[in-house]
Amino acid sequence: MQDTLNALLAQARTELAALTARADFEAAKARYVGPNGAFTALMKQMGTVPKEQRPAVGKLVNEAKARLQAELDAALARIGEAEIAAQLGPAIDPTLPSPDAGPGSYHPLTLVREEMCRILRKAGFSVVEGPEVETEYYCFDALNTPADHPARDAQDTFYFPERARFGNVTKKVPDERYLLRTHTSSVQIRTMLKGEPPIRIVSPGRVYRRDTSDATHSANFHQIECLYVDRDVTVRDLKALLDYVFASLLGKDTKTRFRPHYFGYTEPSFEVDLSAQHLPKVNKEWIEIGGCGMVDPAVFEGVGYDPAVWSGYAFGMGLERLAMLLYGIDDIRYFYQNDLRFLRQFA
Amino acid sequence: MKLSRNWLKQYVRLYASAEELQRAITFLGFEVEGVVDTRFTPLEHVVVGEIKTRAKHPNADKLSVCTVDVGPAHGGVRTIVCGAHNCDPGHRVPVALPGAVLPGDFHIKQSKIRGQQSDGMMCAPDELGLGGEHAGLLILDPAAPVGAPLHEVLPEGDVIFDIEVTPNRPDVLCHLGLARELAAWLRYDIRFPEIRFRGETRGSRPDLLADISVQAPEDCPLYVGIAVAGVKVGPSPAWLQERLRAVGLRPINNLVDVGNYVMLELGQPLHVFDARKLGGRKLVVRRAGDGERLTTLDGKERELNASMLVIADETRPLVVAGIMGGLDAGVDETTTDIVLEAAYFRPQSIRATSRRLGLASDSSYRFERGVDPHGTREAAYRAIDLILETAGGTVVGPSFQVGGDRPWSREIQVGPAFIRERLGFHISDEDMREALQSLNLAIVGESEDRRGGPTWTVSIPSYRTDLDRPIDLVEEVLRIHGTDRVPAAPCVGPALADGDDDPVAVFNRRAAEYLVGQHFHEVVNYTLRSQRELTTWVSQAAAEELALANPFVDDQSHLRPTLVLGILDSLRLNQSRGVPAARLFETGRVFMELGGTVQECVAAGFVICHQPKERAWLGRPEPDFYSVKRQVAVLARQAGLELADADLAPVRGSFWGWQEGHSAAAGEMRDGWTARFGLMNLAMIRALGIEGKVWAGVIAILPQRLTGAAGRRRYRPFSLFPAALRDLALVVDAARPASDVRARLVAVAEAQATAAFRVEAVEVFDVYRGQGLPADKKSLAFALSFRSGERTLTDQEVNAAFAKIQQEIAADGSIVVRS
Repeated sequence: MQDTLNALLAQARTELAALTARADFEAAKARYVGPNGAFTALMKQMGTVPKEQRPAVGKLVNEAKARLQAELDAALARIGEAEIAAQLGPAIDPTLPSPDAGPGSYHPLTLVREEMCRILRKAGFSVVEGPEVETEYYCFDALNTPADHPARDAQDTFYFPERARFGNVTKKVPDERYLLRTHTSSVQIRTMLKGEPPIRIVSPGRVYRRDTSDATHSANFHQIECLYVDRDVTVRDLKALLDYVFASLLGKDTKTRFRPHYFGYTEPSFEVDLSAQHLPKVNKEWIEIGGCGMVDPAVFEGVGYDPAVWSGYAFGMGLERLAMLLYGIDDIRYFYQNDLRFLRQFA
Repeated sequence: MKLSRNWLKQYVRLYASAEELQRAITFLGFEVEGVVDTRFTPLEHVVVGEIKTRAKHPNADKLSVCTVDVGPAHGGVRTIVCGAHNCDPGHRVPVALPGAVLPGDFHIKQSKIRGQQSDGMMCAPDELGLGGEHAGLLILDPAAPVGAPLHEVLPEGDVIFDIEVTPNRPDVLCHLGLARELAAWLRYDIRFPEIRFRGETRGSRPDLLADISVQAPEDCPLYVGIAVAGVKVGPSPAWLQERLRAVGLRPINNLVDVGNYVMLELGQPLHVFDARKLGGRKLVVRRAGDGERLTTLDGKERELNASMLVIADETRPLVVAGIMGGLDAGVDETTTDIVLEAAYFRPQSIRATSRRLGLASDSSYRFERGVDPHGTREAAYRAIDLILETAGGTVVGPSFQVGGDRPWSREIQVGPAFIRERLGFHISDEDMREALQSLNLAIVGESEDRRGGPTWTVSIPSYRTDLDRPIDLVEEVLRIHGTDRVPAAPCVGPALADGDDDPVAVFNRRAAEYLVGQHFHEVVNYTLRSQRELTTWVSQAAAEELALANPFVDDQSHLRPTLVLGILDSLRLNQSRGVPAARLFETGRVFMELGGTVQECVAAGFVICHQPKERAWLGRPEPDFYSVKRQVAVLARQAGLELADADLAPVRGSFWGWQEGHSAAAGEMRDGWTARFGLMNLAMIRALGIEGKVWAGVIAILPQRLTGAAGRRRYRPFSLFPAALRDLALVVDAARPASDVRARLVAVAEAQATAAFRVEAVEVFDVYRGQGLPADKKSLAFALSFRSGERTLTDQEVNAAFAKIQQEIAADGSIVVRS
């Protein structure tokens, strides 16, 4: 018996050592310890062993069984390790570049717009959008710009032909013309006509001027405007907003100042200068950055707000100009060429 | 507009420096676009010298060695080496002696230049800080005393401010106007020019001017005509020429120059007629006849129409009223008798005519903004003074005034409390009162308001046509107080509960976030495209609907109906510059047709460009239709839309630039949105000059279709029991869409599952064509998953249902279960 067991174990050891696949292992295992296995067959012979020999033979068989199990376990572990090694493949070189697409990037105008919106949202403003195709009423009349005002000239504004029909922009006045908005202030009018004060909105968007394209002018560009309407809104509140906005954008040492100016839709009106350290390519102390003022009573009357009750301020600026200042860009056309060597710089 | 400091000084004391004045003008509300200072800052040790001799420098071709007499007090005759071309003997020139420090911290010392002793420097204007080019030595008046300090012999010089006058302030389009503003700022008094002529005439000369009639009084409420006989046309006196030159005007002759001078002094444009050229000795202010012609002073023939106002004689128009004179009736060297015109024209009329003719002048610029309705006659009298002074002659009758000075009386009621409320900070009553009065805004009455505070009645002078309402006076007070003195304050305001961002902004932000996360680069392109592109890529109809009435340039004449055209531009630009660009996107507005109207839509679009010859050390699979489909489906979700397979249809033809058989469309504009995606038409892409294959996706949504944040979701319980899985292959016509087969299978399976359990998923996992199947058939393999919420399903019940499903699905004969 001892010899039989030893022979079987030796055979199993040799056979298992040669196995590399899990399926072969399972088959081999069945040949020894499966229902029809050689070792199982030996176990079955135990019944034929004389009673007095049984304890000794039983001990032998149990020892052999344990040794066989150890051989099986070792073989299985070895095959498992080999499988993992095969799954892994050769080691990587961490210094090789990834062939996958690199990181995406936001356009600098989006970055500046979103930064301004984020700053203004903190101050309680919410983002409002309006159509780029507008009518004369929303773009001019409601903003206290009379019909013969030079800003409305076909020389400066893109108009659409009489026959043009825009489905989702309704004419307020029957014979007015459709046009491409020249400023985002039209969104202020739409917002005021739709709701009641208090109003606290920021409207970023694309605007159009019929103008030669050069390093500082573009057929379309972007503005961002804010409007606040409430009781007792003052010039001082307007200044406070601008101080907050530009300190948030450019750091606490940033200063702003007002210069008197004229816009039809605000009274008083100001141009805003700012003074900030570390702006690239700026060597003047004060840089003009936008226009603002207190909403003109005529505008309130036009949208049905009582100017004796409500007051408000509006502020607007060009996004391209702001982005050029912030990043030190010297040609507006770069924004619209989309050379990736340009775009990636701001990601 | 250019304004001269010397000229301003006629009306207001200006002790302030040029810098202080510039600041004052700026904070009064007039942007200073340029300052030219021609004044000479006195320099020590710079004196008048006379060049005595000139010899060539022995060691330098371009230098001369001169002897220069600088006067006995400065050592008499000195030797000076000079590089200027005009250092000729006899000239008196500025000489910087050793010890002088010229602008730019340039110290003059005795030195040797190429071996020659040089005992000072002769100077060009720029070296003395006088501006101008470096074009030789400054040649002084031959009478300038030798040895005198230079500043004693130079003219005074001037400071010219180039300022932008906002359209609401036509009263500042003249020196008196800006002087009034500066007087307010500096709290000085204003000195008006003395006007001697008061309308008196000597004798009557109807042979010069017999009649003036105004036939269009609504456009010309006031017309003054004064005849002067016996003038002598000639050059203006030096002071007058200097005034005009200083602000950039060329002196012509005394009559024309006086007209310009008074306009630049008082803001009232004037016109001078040669009386002998007036047909019928008449002036008629009338509307032009349609088609009537007039050759204006600029030599161009203008065709007029009945909306335009002209000044005519008996037979023909002489002047486009308020804008420009004709060639025929102007003054020339032979003129001896004149008629001076001063008028008030309705601004809107002048503006309309000027626009229509494309003709503008200094005169029309002022009339269309509005001249002082009360200053017309005074300006005429001022001009008569100057004509008599510079050209002689006699004012003769009859003199005409047709119409009256525009009635003017304007008062504004405003209280200091109101002004403080609007400003939000304190300015005392006294300071406000002073500010208003400094602007000649007299407080002519005072009463008590409801709260017991004062209310002022403020009288508005006629030249301040811009002041109409109490809020306008808030600005005036603040302007004089100083807009840069608005105090700092914390930024406060209400938090508004309905203050969610616009759904359009939310969609754009989400779409951009997703696509940037998918390694796309955001691009920004112009909205306006060319007609040719639209007809090629979209349709003739689109090109007609989207056209601007007045494009500025040919290739930007139409609204864009898709973002793809712009993104392809960006792709091509990068390729042409050798910059690898594979994934680009844009968000923005596009314009789509719906039911005969154009709809402005919110849109997002992207392209993926694959260039097969790209080299990479490790290969990656090419993108395909289904990668693009995923991106578009996610974009749709950002807009709250589901891109259901059932709604997808292949794009036919090359419409919108898609490749037939490799692209699809979803949604209809009448549902408020549409999406297109897939492979761009290979031939069209190649024709654009773009290399490689381009996949793209675009989605356009009506803004009103975007609803912003979806309502809050409710939790639904889910089953904790295992699913039962079965696979089923179905053979169908090759052309039949998978979504159709799947929809049928889902319906059949759900009917069988009924109450016992749910069909949880039915997904295609294999598509097969080829061996074992007829050529026009394909096999679609589906994985079905069943699950109960209450228990583990038994094989028996699932098998029974599955057998039924196989039986049912084949019932209509179009689907065969593959065994």
